Amino acid sequence: MNYPMIRYILFQVMRIEGILMLLPCAVSVFYGDGEGLTYAIIASILIIAGFIGCKFVPKNQTIYVKEGFAATGFTWILMSIVGCLPFVFSGEIPSFTDALFETVSGFTTTGASILSNVEGLSHTALFWRSFTHWIGGMGVLVFLLAIIPMSGGSNINLMKAESPGPSVGKLVPRIRRTAFILYAIYLVMTIIETIFLLCGGLNLFDSLCIAFGTAGTGGFAVRNDSFMSYGPAIRWIVSVFMLLFAVNFNAYYYVLLKEIKKAITMEEVRTFFLIVLAAIAVVFVSILDMYANAFDALTDAVFQIGTVVSTTGFGSADFDLWPTAAKFTLCFMMFMGACAGSTGGGIKVSRMVLLFKTIRQELASMIHPKMVRRITLDKRVVDDEVIRSTNAFLATYAGIFLISMFLVSFNGYDLTTTFTSVLATLNNIGPGLALVGPTCNYGFFSVFSKYVLIFDMLAGRLELFPILIIFNPSIYKK
Amino acid sequence: MPFFKTTPSGLRIIIVGAGKVGATLVEQLSAEGHNITVIDKDPNKIREITSAYDVMGLAGNGASYLTLQEAGVSNSDLIIAVTDSDELNLLCCTIAKQFSKCAAISRVRTPDYSREASYLREKLGLEMIINPDLVAARVMSRILYMPRALEINSFAHGQAEIIKLKIPEGNILNKMTIAQFGANITNNILICGVERDGKVVIPSGNFELATGDIISIVGTRKEHSSLFKKIGFDTHQVKTAMIVGGGRSTYYLASILLKSGIDVKIIERDLTRCENLSEFLPKAVVINGDGTNTELLLEEGIDTTEAFIPLTGIDEQNVMLSLHAKKTSSAKIITKINRTGFNDIVSSLDLGSVIYPRYITTETIIAYVRARKASSGSNIETLYHLFDARAEAIEFRVTEDSNIINIPLKDLKLKDNLLIAFIGHNGEAIIPRGNSVILPGDTVMIVTTHTGFNDITDILR
Repeated sequence: MNYPMIRYILFQVMRIEGILMLLPCAVSVFYGDGEGLTYAIIASILIIAGFIGCKFVPKNQTIYVKEGFAATGFTWILMSIVGCLPFVFSGEIPSFTDALFETVSGFTTTGASILSNVEGLSHTALFWRSFTHWIGGMGVLVFLLAIIPMSGGSNINLMKAESPGPSVGKLVPRIRRTAFILYAIYLVMTIIETIFLLCGGLNLFDSLCIAFGTAGTGGFAVRNDSFMSYGPAIRWIVSVFMLLFAVNFNAYYYVLLKEIKKAITMEEVRTFFLIVLAAIAVVFVSILDMYANAFDALTDAVFQIGTVVSTTGFGSADFDLWPTAAKFTLCFMMFMGACAGSTGGGIKVSRMVLLFKTIRQELASMIHPKMVRRITLDKRVVDDEVIRSTNAFLATYAGIFLISMFLVSFNGYDLTTTFTSVLATLNNIGPGLALVGPTCNYGFFSVFSKYVLIFDMLAGRLELFPILIIFNPSIYKK
Repeated sequence: MPFFKTTPSGLRIIIVGAGKVGATLVEQLSAEGHNITVIDKDPNKIREITSAYDVMGLAGNGASYLTLQEAGVSNSDLIIAVTDSDELNLLCCTIAKQFSKCAAISRVRTPDYSREASYLREKLGLEMIINPDLVAARVMSRILYMPRALEINSFAHGQAEIIKLKIPEGNILNKMTIAQFGANITNNILICGVERDGKVVIPSGNFELATGDIISIVGTRKEHSSLFKKIGFDTHQVKTAMIVGGGRSTYYLASILLKSGIDVKIIERDLTRCENLSEFLPKAVVINGDGTNTELLLEEGIDTTEAFIPLTGIDEQNVMLSLHAKKTSSAKIITKINRTGFNDIVSSLDLGSVIYPRYITTETIIAYVRARKASSGSNIETLYHLFDARAEAIEFRVTEDSNIINIPLKDLKLKDNLLIAFIGHNGEAIIPRGNSVILPGDTVMIVTTHTGFNDITDILR
């Protein structure tokens, strides 16, 4: 293990997080709520520590796969612990476990909260809470790669570990430029959404927080009832942007290059929209008779499918009261999640497509045992390595899911609560069903269960292996 | 959005083929800041190369229009085709040329095409056709003309040479400082690099030479000959050479040597190849037999030949043959290493002159790329790697607007580990002193352990 390099990356992350923490300070000054001092002190400690730590640049900057994964796992744990300190020291969320849960939920873009009264928080805390979504959505290491020049090409392993999807590629030959383009698209889309929300009648603070929550596909809102008090215009704007942020960002790069045809023929993106349309139709039909008019039913169907499939988790309606067919459709969307290369979570559409094709190939090979057929995606043969790692991912995913459910089950809540609490955290959605439904929160779980769910959120965001590898003793052996 | 289209720095280069030469090119060109896309048909090679270097990889056929399009050929600056197949390389370049204004470099090794290289280059509109075996053969033949040298490279259209030699035991250079060398032996020759215990230094005046050091010297051929006489090296060129293995390099080397009147003996195991060689090289003595058989080598006179060059396709066999020859004869030995990765071990063995065809190939291409990148046209004339690419010798052309002209060298603030080796002025090579000045139109050669120099002004701090 290249410990000096991992240490260097961690210090860089501390420095960046410190600098980003200055933004809530500015918010505090603007609103005069007096919470900014805590943030400023913690930020300055981070910046100073980061600057000192970054003075020692390691000679060997090679990052092999294991270093990339371990560094990513440690980075996310470190930034979550550091990021929850303002909540603890300002006294707004005094319990460390609760503050950590809230921060991990923020960075991993889950949006599961332990707070029952969100409106009771200061503007500063609300801003920081939503801003963690934005940082976590595209990833802090991708941000690091975009702004810090690092030698060698092996730091692609950092991006591979942090970015979601079965196979992570570059947009352009240089990794720094790739990371830069991704963040530029992300930033521009966030700004456009903020402008739309402003035009829709929200104030600047709410618009920014909602835009952060949408862009990172997080789900922290600024009101106790999440989206239930917003009008249809806001709901439609957010619905559209949630779906846009769930699309593979490669598609936007193709659009920028004016290769629109390439963007809309991406197999994953097309499959994603087909499934979303079908799901909306099912939900719309099954909830239609609960609503006075069809438009409201459609608005909620689109919003809830959008929020669940993009793994955002805003609540515009208490879907816990919906018919079972609609609830099941939502659960299936939670499992599937967004496209690879987006800011969303879940298993990812491309993995679902590969899984489906693997099953089809397996069936075909039983009928014609000697048949040779390669699995393709976008008319290209998919590497056996990718198929293998996709299968391994699904097996590991199922394993973690079952073990987490088993551990949470000791709390003694009903099966739906236990099942959907793990489902909603491991897939980075936020609200589940029953006791963790859209009108409820996670505050009532035991401390132990909260740590299990924190682990699930991190594992889900980093796609399991970066978090699992740091529990593997063999990487620490000399 | 022009922001996404313009590249901040560096050329956009497509490299087809991720073999030995391809990988070396990727390593060095990506380190110099170019935007590189590699195409190879083997996805495993692509995976390896993209996780080691900051480049984009693409698995596919480099001669296919769709693959090239996906690699962004339409706005590339340069395509370099270095796959195993000559035909594929030429086809890649030809197709790329149809769709883009990029420059093209192709590797061509088969003698059939190589003889027609200039015709092909012109007709297909390529910028460069490079034949690694032929280039390596030329380098080997230069060494045989001055056998005491380990390596010879010529600069400034042959006016100056850079020669590598090893200080033998009991030589007068032992325990001599660089300043004494200038005062007592000659001040028309500069010692521009010393390799000791695997480390390369650019020596200063009080550096003391020692037995076993490998030194690089710069000067004219005449000066070199007289230096060799002064330090007790004989200077006559070899008259007979024995080559083991009958591949392409053998063919090229033998034809060069035969032309300059050296007797060549080739030992090759395969009868058909022997017959081919004797057809193309009627003056050579072609022996059909196993070159690794020591009896046969003795029978054919390994103990009396003046030069021994193992050119089998297997590096390990070449190294063993060289070590064997070192024991049994006093011949000048040249060892060719195709694959590398064990540079430290190779340089610790006594293998005579060691040449690396892939470095020779890559440095030719890199010199071209650097010259192309320099905005004011071609400022780099030639570039050579010294000491297995641990130091570089670069020859620059100096332009009118350069900010180093008309200043005595002793007043220039140069970077560390850098030395101005000679100034080419009006067709004459001058070994620079403190009071020398560089004038516009001169060519200047520097030796440095830094990499990535593009212009003569890069030598300043």
